[in-house]
Amino acid sequence: MDARQLHGVRFDKVSKSFGEVKALQPLDLEIKPGEFLTLLGPSGSGKTTLLNIVAGFLDPNTGRLIVGDKDVTALPPRLRNIGMVFQNYALFPHMTVAENVAYGLKVRNVRGPALKSRVDEALEMVQLGGYGDRGIDQLSGGQQQRVALARAMVIEPDLLLMDEPLGALDRQLRKQVQLEIRRLHAKAPRTTIYVTHDQEEALVMSDRVAIMRHGEIIQIGTPAELYKKPNSAYIARFLGESNLLPATILHSGNGETSYRIRGYEGNFTVPAANCAENEPGEAQILVRPEALKISQTDENSLRVVVEEAVYLGELTATKVRFADGQEGWLRAMNSPAHSVGDVVRVTWSPEDSRLLPKGDQADN
Amino acid sequence: MKRYKPTPQAAAQIFGAAVLAFLVMPIFAVVPASVNEASFIKIPPETLSLKWYGAFLEDRGWMIALFNSLRVALLTTAIALFIGTLAALGVERLPKRARPFVIGAVLSPLIVPVIMISIALYYVTRSIGLYGTVPGLALGHALLCVPFVLLNVSVSLQRLDPNLARAASGLGARPTYVFRTVTLPAIWPGLASGGVFAFVLSFDEVVISLFIAGYSAKTLPVKLWEQIRVEFTPVAAVASTVILAFTVLLFIATRMSARKRTASSERSQ
Repeated sequence: MDARQLHGVRFDKVSKSFGEVKALQPLDLEIKPGEFLTLLGPSGSGKTTLLNIVAGFLDPNTGRLIVGDKDVTALPPRLRNIGMVFQNYALFPHMTVAENVAYGLKVRNVRGPALKSRVDEALEMVQLGGYGDRGIDQLSGGQQQRVALARAMVIEPDLLLMDEPLGALDRQLRKQVQLEIRRLHAKAPRTTIYVTHDQEEALVMSDRVAIMRHGEIIQIGTPAELYKKPNSAYIARFLGESNLLPATILHSGNGETSYRIRGYEGNFTVPAANCAENEPGEAQILVRPEALKISQTDENSLRVVVEEAVYLGELTATKVRFADGQEGWLRAMNSPAHSVGDVVRVTWSPEDSRLLPKGDQADN
Repeated sequence: MKRYKPTPQAAAQIFGAAVLAFLVMPIFAVVPASVNEASFIKIPPETLSLKWYGAFLEDRGWMIALFNSLRVALLTTAIALFIGTLAALGVERLPKRARPFVIGAVLSPLIVPVIMISIALYYVTRSIGLYGTVPGLALGHALLCVPFVLLNVSVSLQRLDPNLARAASGLGARPTYVFRTVTLPAIWPGLASGGVFAFVLSFDEVVISLFIAGYSAKTLPVKLWEQIRVEFTPVAAVASTVILAFTVLLFIATRMSARKRTASSERSQ
């Protein structure tokens, strides 16, 4: 089991249309052996289509899919050695827990004591030891999902595919199973593609996250990269809270770009590395609420009106209004108390801000 | 109880009761007539007796007819289940827009007058040597039974989670293994009720049988029809009761197994 070979996955110009609808634009993507990659996006963004192409349930219109060093594009699902976990569990209702887990092993001609010990081991792994003889309908949703996980993992799949596996669970349980999946992955890494529309889930679990929209991957990176260096306002809004102000780019040079903010005097700068947009003209400036601070000086700061202060336990969130009427938030551990209506100055360090292309205001 | 007041619901209930009474009335005529002592039909019977049941069981002609009926019904059920289930599985894979046409084609024997089908079957079975045989009758009956299997199995298939078959094939199972271990157990209730429909329809079928049963494959309803044309004896009532009993028992059996199924799946919810 320890000598397991890990396989990477490579998509080579893979695309898929359903009639007129382009579900997946031609896509190149490489998943490293043992990597936990999450496809994150709203419904209709193409993430499930992509997963179904990897599983072999859908044939791509163009392109090739390579697992390890084998082109599997034309292979039927049963020859791909994949473990799939579905949102609705898809457990076989007329079989017991053990029979469900044993299914893939029986197909692989594992019999007798070897079968029993591997099934028991898999159930142990998902902390359902001793549940083998139960019927599926005697388990809770969370337990059913863990059986589905055991059934998918017991066959030692080259790839583990999960399609919104926690979507049907309540919040509390979802957190638990998230950590459990994370723990299993850390213990025995296995190339995993995980589909979800829940940002938090994607950030908690993944090595890398690919954000999908309209059948395309619009950005891919580690959770920290995506949070700190989003390429568009859409992603900035999608992952966490953000202050986005309309800006005009003046010029770039000397490793930085200068810009103006609508409604304010003076020029601001941002390091060139923090620019998703460089062309002079309209843009947006992003500052995360935790990067915004109350300032005592005029330098690199904006006058705002305090609208509301919300006590959140360990931190305080302050709602402010900018000069052009836009709302924003700043969030700090020990923010000095301000009363509603106070005019204060807020500042940030240029490396915590990011210039983004204009547009993507609200449409998603 | 409150004082009775005629309401629209009450009117509807009375109407419903009348319809039901009309539907079950023949049962209350036939069953008592079969246990009458006298050698003519009399309702209600004056003296109860099972002597006509004895006569029925001892009559070689009736017994041959009963066994023919059973053989035809069983073979019909097998043929209809096989073709109907395959048709249902095939329809499921068709594009949605094409489905009504295929389903319509399978259901068309129910729309064409049975007498036309019978005449056609008469000529066909004559020319290929199936006239007056059990397989010939079964094939003819299957025409009328396949639609019921198709409809019943289709309903089960629509309730079937398509991810189950995907999960099984993802785990490495071949399509035939997936069908045997996952699909079939899930659509079993549909097959069972479709099969019962097929059996009962065939067991009770007269028109096609009259045309193609000939002398050698005479079924119970055909024998009954011939008998009644001469005279309506209590033995005919016994034969009718036998047909009735088979039908009722089969439906009760499926209802009970269906209830057991739903009960066991609801227990956990």
